[in-house]
Amino acid sequence: MSMRKVAIVGDATSVAGFRPLGFAVFPLAVPSAARGIWGELVGGEYAAVLVTEAVFEEIEDLIAAQADVPLPAVTVIPGAGSAGGVGQAKIDAAIERALGTKVFIREEDG
Amino acid sequence: MAQMRVNPNRMELMKLRSRRQVAQRGHKLLKDKLDELMKEFLARIGESRTLRAEVERELFAAYGTVAVARGVAGRAALAAALASGNPEPIVSVAERNVMSVRIPEFTLAALPAPGGYSLVTTPIAFDSALAALAAVAPRLIVLAEKEKAIELLAAEIERTRRRVNALEHVLIPQLDETIRSIGMKLDEAERSNLTRLMKVKDMIEEQGR
Repeated sequence: MSMRKVAIVGDATSVAGFRPLGFAVFPLAVPSAARGIWGELVGGEYAAVLVTEAVFEEIEDLIAAQADVPLPAVTVIPGAGSAGGVGQAKIDAAIERALGTKVFIREEDG
Repeated sequence: MAQMRVNPNRMELMKLRSRRQVAQRGHKLLKDKLDELMKEFLARIGESRTLRAEVERELFAAYGTVAVARGVAGRAALAAALASGNPEPIVSVAERNVMSVRIPEFTLAALPAPGGYSLVTTPIAFDSALAALAAVAPRLIVLAEKEKAIELLAAEIERTRRRVNALEHVLIPQLDETIRSIGMKLDEAERSNLTRLMKVKDMIEEQGR
């Protein structure tokens, strides 16, 4: 049982709003700046690190390396301007690798 | 099929037989583990999918209210209002063991009350924006927890499946083949021994006449 913080990383428009809620916000001028702070983010201070889709696309390799590690939980969220869906695609890829098939990922159509 | 290089004697045969038995048992256990992991996994993926769709919708709505607040009050005022607040350790992390996979569980403590900006001088849009963000924040934590669990399980499933396959398609057939070949060599040695003895017996009988 330990208490940890939550980090949210992305463009200022999307993430600044979470600061009053106690999140550790990392507003970035450019998504690639996330690479420089990645070491700090996965250092153990944070239980969860929320990254915007733009950041995810820049540091996909770093995030993939975390797939085996229980903490922090790195989750992709849509940024204010983006379309959404990238986070689901990431999980779908992991599911497909595990199951060897896409069959179970389909939406249930009743 | 590759064979193992061992001396073809009875000791080795015994050892190999018991190794094969162990491998067989291990294979069954790992298969059972894989089945359990799959069950757990499948149960979780549908749930997380729905959750993600909802959370993304809620998040977009929250972004919308923030944009409204920005429009009403101006970029600078909004930035000033949002500058208050410090990172706090708001999530309590526990660990759960699912089929030997350690999955973190998050419990969100009460969020610090949004304050630090004057309620009088800021428009209502601020409060709605913060309320919307405060509503989506716990959902984000839950989503992070669930998706992490899926990732960890997926990794363990891949690992276990590789081991099951390695046992089933490499180790056990190798052992079988080696056992068979040693068995054959021993039988052959036995046979030639028998033949020799019979020959000697015949020779003695011949001499005896």
